[in-house]
Amino acid sequence: MSAGWAVRWLPPVGSLVVLTGLAEVAIRVGRVSPLLLPPPSAVLAVAVSESPALLSASSGTAIAVLVGLGLSAVVGVTIAVGLSTSRFIERAFYPYAIFFQVVPIVAIAPLLVIWFGYGIRAVIASAFIVSIFPVIANTLAGLLSVDPALRDLFRIYRAGPVDTLFRLRLPAALPDVLTGLRVASGLAVIGAIVGEFVGGGGLGVVILGAMREQRTDLVFAAVGYASLLGLALFGLASLASHLSLRRWHASEKELG
Amino acid sequence: MTHATWPGSRRHSLVLSLVLVLAAAWVGCRHQDRDRLEIALNWKPEPEFGGIFEALHDRIFEANGLDIELSGGPGAPVIQMVVAGRTAFGIASADEVVIARARGSDVVALFATYQTSPQGLMAHAERGFDSLAALLAAPGILAVEPGLPYVKFLGSRYDLSHREVVPYSYSIAAFLTDPELAQQVFVTAEPIAARRAGAHPQVFLVAESGYNPYTAVLIARGDRVRDDRGRVTALQAALREGWRRYLDDPSAANAWIAEQNPEMDRESLTLAAAAQVPLIKTDATRRDGLGSMTPERWSTLAEQLKAIGVIGEVEEPTRYFIQPGS
Repeated sequence: MSAGWAVRWLPPVGSLVVLTGLAEVAIRVGRVSPLLLPPPSAVLAVAVSESPALLSASSGTAIAVLVGLGLSAVVGVTIAVGLSTSRFIERAFYPYAIFFQVVPIVAIAPLLVIWFGYGIRAVIASAFIVSIFPVIANTLAGLLSVDPALRDLFRIYRAGPVDTLFRLRLPAALPDVLTGLRVASGLAVIGAIVGEFVGGGGLGVVILGAMREQRTDLVFAAVGYASLLGLALFGLASLASHLSLRRWHASEKELG
Repeated sequence: MTHATWPGSRRHSLVLSLVLVLAAAWVGCRHQDRDRLEIALNWKPEPEFGGIFEALHDRIFEANGLDIELSGGPGAPVIQMVVAGRTAFGIASADEVVIARARGSDVVALFATYQTSPQGLMAHAERGFDSLAALLAAPGILAVEPGLPYVKFLGSRYDLSHREVVPYSYSIAAFLTDPELAQQVFVTAEPIAARRAGAHPQVFLVAESGYNPYTAVLIARGDRVRDDRGRVTALQAALREGWRRYLDDPSAANAWIAEQNPEMDRESLTLAAAAQVPLIKTDATRRDGLGSMTPERWSTLAEQLKAIGVIGEVEEPTRYFIQPGS
């Protein structure tokens, strides 16, 4: 247990300590103005002293991220299933799914407020728009790469399309769906914060307010909380992946 | 309705600021002409900077032995650019100067264009508000930039509990569709646009509340200008002359501004230039000259910022500025 623990956690914690230590020394030796780049120690101090406000802002952001990500998962998988039903439909609509990947969210964010009103709905919409594409793309790839031998087996036993979908194609695509969600989780955090810039609430407003009051240390502390939120979601998606795949999929078996 | 970002809003877009910081760093690395000095603006060319454009147009800077170039733009992190030494001068507001100094940066004000702050709150005239307090007490959305010191100040003084405070969306589209919405404005910008879009805006100056920072203030790094007083005095004199001429007749400079900022048509420029005159020319400037400042005003502002918890320490007021003509 202890040896495994050390192997697992020592490298990331060690690199964090070394890198922030170097940044601290460089900033102090270079006498960089704290307005331009605050030393990590100052950021950490603010992250602790302002933790009640930052935690409550983070929880607001987290709710919007989770709802947006949940919508991405449901809508994204549904769209991918629809696209996978025929080559014709895929060719007709898949190119337009790419729209979601390239949409400059900063540019359309003000419109979200007009469409959905101020508050959490605009924030959820922003998180949803930036996080749905990786779900569609990965799920579709998974659905289309089912083992041909298994597909033949289902055909020989005359399984209907619904059975084939739920008993073969979706389970086979599950690892890809979860990979899509892991990619989407980080994007959803970015999307939510950009949404909050215009819709209000959460870490987005804390960041804007801190910039306006020239509290660069608070800006970085808020960004740190956003990173932790992204990390937690990534961990959650990885855990879901581990729990659902550990019995049969190569990617999780070897880790276990 | 014209589709545009409105000239008066003061968005500090995170993304844009970061891009501009990087751009400023790159610009700073280039070889620079030793005697050429930059003034970083915090918005697009518009009448707010009329005196600067007039001074460039009429070669007043050159007549005062200065070689001036403009930089910056919407979202430019002007204070940070000045502190980092990427630009010699910049345009900011007095509260930004006080806050920057409280955060440990030696920034000083050299010329205060607006003696009365052009920041205001705009509502629909149909609502019939008779005061800033009545506007703030009514229900509906209040769209303001998060972290604006004056919003904190208003919150400390008036009842905002019936207002839903949301971020300003940098467009008056929401104002035009929501009869209860009130929003922040620069009096020379959004109200003119709203009126031209068919609305009947009513504007209350924030200054009415007693919070009245000098705005469109020329700033520099204190350690650089204290040893270079000759050049500072020349720059202040050139700006004063530029503003005197612009207030007298803005048409030539406005034509030049219109060329550089296609989003503003000539009529908007003329209206904005006329609307700002009483904010620039006051009893104080008739006594002490255009752009002048008083220790009392700086002291009041710093005390107000301290009272609302934005800064910790108030300095000796003369540390905040160098008086033009002194």
